[in-house]
Amino acid sequence: MINEPDSRDLLTEARQVLLDSLVPDLAGEQKYQALMIANAMGMAIREIEQRAQGEPDATDRSLSQFLAGHQLPDDPSQGEQTLARALRDRRLDGDDPELRSVLKGMTEARLRINNPGFLK
Amino acid sequence: MSALADTFSNFIVRQSGAESARVIEFSKLSGGAIQDNFGLTLELEGGDRPGRQEFVVRQDAPSGVAESLSRPEEFRVLQAAFGAGVTAPEPLWLCEDAEVSGRIFYVMSRASGSASPRKLVKGDLTDDQRRHLVRRLGAELARLHTVRPPMASLAFLDMPAGNNPALSRVALYRRYLEEIGEPHPVLEWALNWLEDHAPEPGPTVLCHCDFRTGNYMVDGDELTAVLDWEFAAWSDPCEDLGWLCCRSWRFGGDDREVGGVGDKDDLLASYREVSGADIDPAAVSYWEVVALVRWAMIALQQARRHMSGEQRSLELALTGRMVAQMEYDLLNQIPELEEGQ
Repeated sequence: MINEPDSRDLLTEARQVLLDSLVPDLAGEQKYQALMIANAMGMAIREIEQRAQGEPDATDRSLSQFLAGHQLPDDPSQGEQTLARALRDRRLDGDDPELRSVLKGMTEARLRINNPGFLK
Repeated sequence: MSALADTFSNFIVRQSGAESARVIEFSKLSGGAIQDNFGLTLELEGGDRPGRQEFVVRQDAPSGVAESLSRPEEFRVLQAAFGAGVTAPEPLWLCEDAEVSGRIFYVMSRASGSASPRKLVKGDLTDDQRRHLVRRLGAELARLHTVRPPMASLAFLDMPAGNNPALSRVALYRRYLEEIGEPHPVLEWALNWLEDHAPEPGPTVLCHCDFRTGNYMVDGDELTAVLDWEFAAWSDPCEDLGWLCCRSWRFGGDDREVGGVGDKDDLLASYREVSGADIDPAAVSYWEVVALVRWAMIALQQARRHMSGEQRSLELALTGRMVAQMEYDLLNQIPELEEGQ
């Protein structure tokens, strides 16, 4: 079903109205709340954009490859659960550069949505 | 509101032995989802504290959090800290009779200045003023850490399991992750690292456990009060030093390791001058890693409170999305520490 303008467009425009027209007239607690709303909308927009670019599938695939390479079940919907459990059970070497790179990849993918400015 | 002001005012009149009191100002202060804080200015006639007096009344908010100390416990911690010479609000009177105001509360002196982190970090303090403030922070912690167990008035505080605060934190946070039920491989990885790299524990002392920029008041370049004692615990001195230096609490002043204000060398030098104790900077760095994990745990718990419907809140929801920041810092900071060894 085509329903345009799409949700990314609607959210982007709504956020811009909030920031350009409403926030300048607000102060104190109300301004703080409006900025939180803009922040939440920004995350939702970036999440839609990342999905259009093939995330989180790309990150899940590299996780899945890592798990398969370490004889761990690589059910794509359970990847993080499996990795967390294997770490808790001390079945993986924490110094392994490949492990660290998978962890970093997952974290960077989240930050590209939650707070891209935080990435160095 | 004015009925509540009268309730507190009457209580203070009775406690201070005043003949009468006039309410000059009464307002709810910002901050604290766990407690309600009220500013109360009175003109007292006679008694122990005659004249114009500024107080803060702190009482439980309707939504209490089980993890933190109760008001009476917090009052006793504050007494111990104040007695050790820490610049904290003077604890004056505790009211354990919930009939008086509907909740248990206590009254303390009100400090001047602001606790706002952004004001402080982005403010126009000179380098000398920053150094002065950082040295004060070190001195305050050194004085606080002279309070040691056993202490009858603080018998409600548990000793760290196995007398090893670091490893008991690791076990606690693993339990939290288990309860939260959401997989966090980076936190699991960091907890393993913390378990494998725990330093020899220092002495067990009274720690504030939330000693960071935002939780102390500053007037100009003078520290006027250390606030928010509800997470106090017996722990390793480096837990407080590490929390203060943790990257999450620099409020944009990333290159100033001590709370976005100044340098760790100054902090540890002043800590040593007051306490006589030489702190290993590597142990502080270790506890900065603990601090990142702890803050991630708190953020996850706050998000859960929102998601479970217990307390729907945009702020709590957004805090949940901050966890990736702590995880990212962990992934950078741990290799940095390994390289430095």
